[in-house]
Amino acid sequence: MSNNKNEKVLEIKDVHAKIGNKEILKGLSLDLEPGKVHAIMGPNGAGKSTLSKTIVGHYDVEMTGGDIIYKGKSIKDWEPEERALEGIFLSFQHPVEIPGVNNAYFLRTAVNAKRKHEGKEELNAAEFLREMKKYLELLGMKSDMISRSLNEGFSGGEKKRNEILQMMMLEPDVIILDEIDSGLDIDALRAVSEGINRMKDGKRSFLVITHYSRILDYIEPDYIHVLKDGKVIKTAGPELVAQLEEHGYDAIEE
Amino acid sequence: MRLTINNLKKKSKDEIAQMLGLTDDLPPSKEAALERLSTLGIPTKKSEEYRYFDVESLLDKSYEVHMHVPKEPKIGEKIVIENGIIIEVPKGMRVYYDQCDALDLTHYDPIYYLGHLLAPHVIKIDLDGDAEVELVHRYTHSGALLPYRIVLFNQENRHATVYETFETEEISDSLILYGYDMHIAKDSTLRLIKTQSMDENRYAMISSNRIKVNDHANALIKTFDLGGDQALQLFKVDLGTYSHIDAGHLLYLNHQAKRGTVSKINHIGEHSTSQQEAKNILDGNARGIFDALIKVEHSAKWTKAHQNSKAILLHEDAYMAAKPQLEIYIDELEASHGATTGQLDRKQIFYLQSRGISYVEARKMLVIAFANTLIETVKDTRHQERIQKAFEKAFYTGHKELKR
Repeated sequence: MSNNKNEKVLEIKDVHAKIGNKEILKGLSLDLEPGKVHAIMGPNGAGKSTLSKTIVGHYDVEMTGGDIIYKGKSIKDWEPEERALEGIFLSFQHPVEIPGVNNAYFLRTAVNAKRKHEGKEELNAAEFLREMKKYLELLGMKSDMISRSLNEGFSGGEKKRNEILQMMMLEPDVIILDEIDSGLDIDALRAVSEGINRMKDGKRSFLVITHYSRILDYIEPDYIHVLKDGKVIKTAGPELVAQLEEHGYDAIEE
Repeated sequence: MRLTINNLKKKSKDEIAQMLGLTDDLPPSKEAALERLSTLGIPTKKSEEYRYFDVESLLDKSYEVHMHVPKEPKIGEKIVIENGIIIEVPKGMRVYYDQCDALDLTHYDPIYYLGHLLAPHVIKIDLDGDAEVELVHRYTHSGALLPYRIVLFNQENRHATVYETFETEEISDSLILYGYDMHIAKDSTLRLIKTQSMDENRYAMISSNRIKVNDHANALIKTFDLGGDQALQLFKVDLGTYSHIDAGHLLYLNHQAKRGTVSKINHIGEHSTSQQEAKNILDGNARGIFDALIKVEHSAKWTKAHQNSKAILLHEDAYMAAKPQLEIYIDELEASHGATTGQLDRKQIFYLQSRGISYVEARKMLVIAFANTLIETVKDTRHQERIQKAFEKAFYTGHKELKR
């Protein structure tokens, strides 16, 4: 199955990228369609997390070739915040803790930066809190998340839920979920998946990066891309998951 | 009287007395202070406690020694001390001039003794009950040497709080020699929350303090030193049995500022505990100082002593002199110390950027967050907000953003 004949929201074209002196992505190409869930699977060291870092402009990554086209524009030279303001969101595998930055204050700053960028009126504190509480309830999060410092002392599950909370409030167009299921118990996985599924509106695209197929029981993918040695070596429909479960990545031929 | 303090160097006790205009019939405390000053000598850049602070250039200037002319204070909501004179006192509060009868004869700082010698009297503040008082210092004279000292007492089994701030008019080139002799009564708590915002070239300060924490008492000392200019606060703390000190120091410096803390915390009584934390944010060409010794005496078994300094350098020309030290004479204790100096965390900046917050704004949020971790230890919301505002004012006016 190929997805490159359809409309594309994000086009990753023959991207080469290195971290330090090591080339990780070696001519990776991938197109994301609007409204579709793309899952990226692959063995350790294949370049899955580097791909997500490259898309959001992480400082670790140096792009040495190729291009990334988002909504028809090259974003490879854009600052990370510009990519975010234009609607690209990465849910981090290991969200960083920031003591002293109040969770609600941070999120309101981010939401209002995006609203301002889109020419919308900024939310005042009361309006924002009303919205935030709605999503907290939906994700089964405690209300003390409002006043706690950003991710500080959060459990693994709380951190992931907080990522999903940010995603829901920032309303991005392309959502990259890097190992969103790692460290989650079954209840947290269900809550996080429900949050993600609520965001499916037929327009948003998802790039779900995962080691295991477990998350794909909750978020049904439209496409499975297998990444190996810095390249996409196979793209297929969801039926590929079962094949990978049974035979492993080594059985996939380029 | 004009005075250049450096002229007191290498002078005999009698010569110092003469140069300071002291009479022959000195009270015993002043006689003792003179003895100690002549033994310790005027500080130089080689003096251990002043080696990171440009003390010699301050002491080399000629100042007009400010004459204290006491007047009847008015009744107000705060204690206001203007140029070393009490001008406002809350109703019923005992704030008065007196001789110092409890001088510490083992203080390491010669300026502690010089301050006592130059000040004609001390200002005594008796904190009754669970008092909560605001103390405002105000300076209005240029080119002046202003020595004054406060002796603070609280009551047993009581929990008193002093919120201290500093104001100044359009002055320049003054030197303030100031400090506390603080006597924290048995089974009591005394909290001192100091906020000092300084502009460039208004005045310099050497604040030399002695804190005696009696048995089963708690001292909570939080200092928020913001902005520019030159100031050094020196503490000597003596801890009795089961006593505790929680000291936190926030430093945000910009321009050419040189400021910081020199402290010696002596664990004397058994089961005494100390917690000292310094957070330093250094901008421009500023220099921060945290030179802190915790000494655990033979008598201080089962003590706990923890000390930590963290510094963030916002500019390549900023500098942090951090020297945490432990001097331990027993085995039965729990102790730790450490110091880190670095830049803002790149991972944290990136995380904020990835949510659409600009690089410049992300850095500002992280600086404020770093400061907030100490500011939020001030439990009173009104004062916490006041300190936050003072910090943000100093930061937003003094910070020069670097290009990434």
